[in-house]
Amino acid sequence: MNKKSSKISTSNENYSHLELINLGKIFFKEKKFIDFRSKGNRSGFEAIKDINLKIEKNTFVSIIGPSGCGKSTLLNLIAGLQAPTSGKIIIDGQAIKGPGPDRGVIFQNYALMPWLTTIQNIEFALNTVFPAKTKADVKERARKYLRMVGLEKASNKFPKELSGGMKQRVAIARALSINPNMLLMDEPFGALDALTRSYLQDELLSIWRKNKVTVVLITHSIEEALLLSDKIVLMSSGPSAIISEEISVDLERPRDREKIEQDPTYLKIKMRLEKHLLRETRAVEEVT
Amino acid sequence: MNKAISTRLTFAVAILSLLIFIILWQVIAQQGLLVKNFPGSFKTIGSLIWWVSDPFFDNGPNDLGIGTNLLISLRRVLIGYSLAVLVAIPLGVLMGMSKLAQSSLNPYVQLLKPVSPLAWLPVGLFVFRNSEITGIFVIFITSIWPTLINTAFGVASINPDYLRVSKSLGASKSTTIRRVILPAIMPNILAGMRISMGTAWLVIVAAEMLLGTGIGYFIWNEWNNLSLENIFVAIIIIGFTGFILDQFFGFLQDKFDYSI
Repeated sequence: MNKKSSKISTSNENYSHLELINLGKIFFKEKKFIDFRSKGNRSGFEAIKDINLKIEKNTFVSIIGPSGCGKSTLLNLIAGLQAPTSGKIIIDGQAIKGPGPDRGVIFQNYALMPWLTTIQNIEFALNTVFPAKTKADVKERARKYLRMVGLEKASNKFPKELSGGMKQRVAIARALSINPNMLLMDEPFGALDALTRSYLQDELLSIWRKNKVTVVLITHSIEEALLLSDKIVLMSSGPSAIISEEISVDLERPRDREKIEQDPTYLKIKMRLEKHLLRETRAVEEVT
Repeated sequence: MNKAISTRLTFAVAILSLLIFIILWQVIAQQGLLVKNFPGSFKTIGSLIWWVSDPFFDNGPNDLGIGTNLLISLRRVLIGYSLAVLVAIPLGVLMGMSKLAQSSLNPYVQLLKPVSPLAWLPVGLFVFRNSEITGIFVIFITSIWPTLINTAFGVASINPDYLRVSKSLGASKSTTIRRVILPAIMPNILAGMRISMGTAWLVIVAAEMLLGTGIGYFIWNEWNNLSLENIFVAIIIIGFTGFILDQFFGFLQDKFDYSI
């Protein structure tokens, strides 16, 4: 991985951890046997185009946009799960060539393996990323991360015995156990009830403070983005979604859930986000 | 209703219906209502007790104990079936993962699957010149399709989240197959293996009528002796064995049921 990488000079600017340059993704229809001969004219669905973004190290960035705007596609590209059609993804000055353990990914549906216990799910990640580690080492480390998310007692339970919130905590522990310096989260709390969601948001913030990681969070919740992020990236409606705005959230940390809602800066940004989302959603609904 | 009582009641009803069946059978046979000399249930039960009380005698190939014949059939089935499973699972995984394998193998599968495995019997006899190997070969052909198709379907319809997790961790292809795909499709594989076993057990009886020895040949032999009650004995034993085999797979399927 990362062979033939192009070095990007970082001397003059703030040190950016992640940089997206003219990133675009088009999903082509699957090639049929017959299509091999007829080359050009392949039509496809352009999910995102011309995405340019810089994310500084150890910051918390949320990406927000109307549904179907290609947020998840963007995250999959950063995770290396899909290859971009055009453009580049630079991490720590090197263009990525695929997925890697420097990025921990958290999915909306937790994506725990149902045939493995909680601790075995984490051990699977550890064994895959650190094949040289001894069994005892792996077990110890898996335990440590389960303890971090407060689920040490559930280590021998199967995912089906856990609540949605607990499952997502296991998934967070799994993503962090491989010691990534970037955490990519695809609407991680979208399927949870409001109380569990706030609990996990607080937990995520405390984990983020302790573990020096850059977080990229996909969300459709304005409140969530405002509570958690240093920067909010707004995407336009798809297809061919672009980044329409970047907003820095200059609110002091730690942010108190109740007090923050009276802060004029908070309200100002919230209004702006609501306006944008409403406009873009209207664009989606009126096209279809 | 109390659960213990309801279980006892079901049991009682089952016993009662069995008794009614046995008596009705006996009456119909005794009165010659069906055909003359049709064996009654008492005679059949007597034969069953006789065969089961000394199941493993061996007085030459045309006079074997029913247990010996059953073991011969089970051995053929288990060997042919195991070989089929060993081929079907890897091939199914390959077909599920690769479009190329899928499109090049699928026509053969679709063409051969509907053919009665007994059609392969003469082919086996011609090639192997050995009834034992031919029996195993026929069971192999019988068992391969359900397991193969179920495995391929399982791989093709695997929850993409598992594969994304594996990919995002940078897992190699072999790790993904061993640690993610195979455990994920265990329910599909077992469902396929259960159907394969059921069909293999159906086919072995028919195949053995032409092969000599085994529980199927026992039936053929007793037909030549015009001993219908012994054929009923064989039917009862074949049914019971098939039931046990099926329950074993049911038990395995419950073990590997990840849902809920």
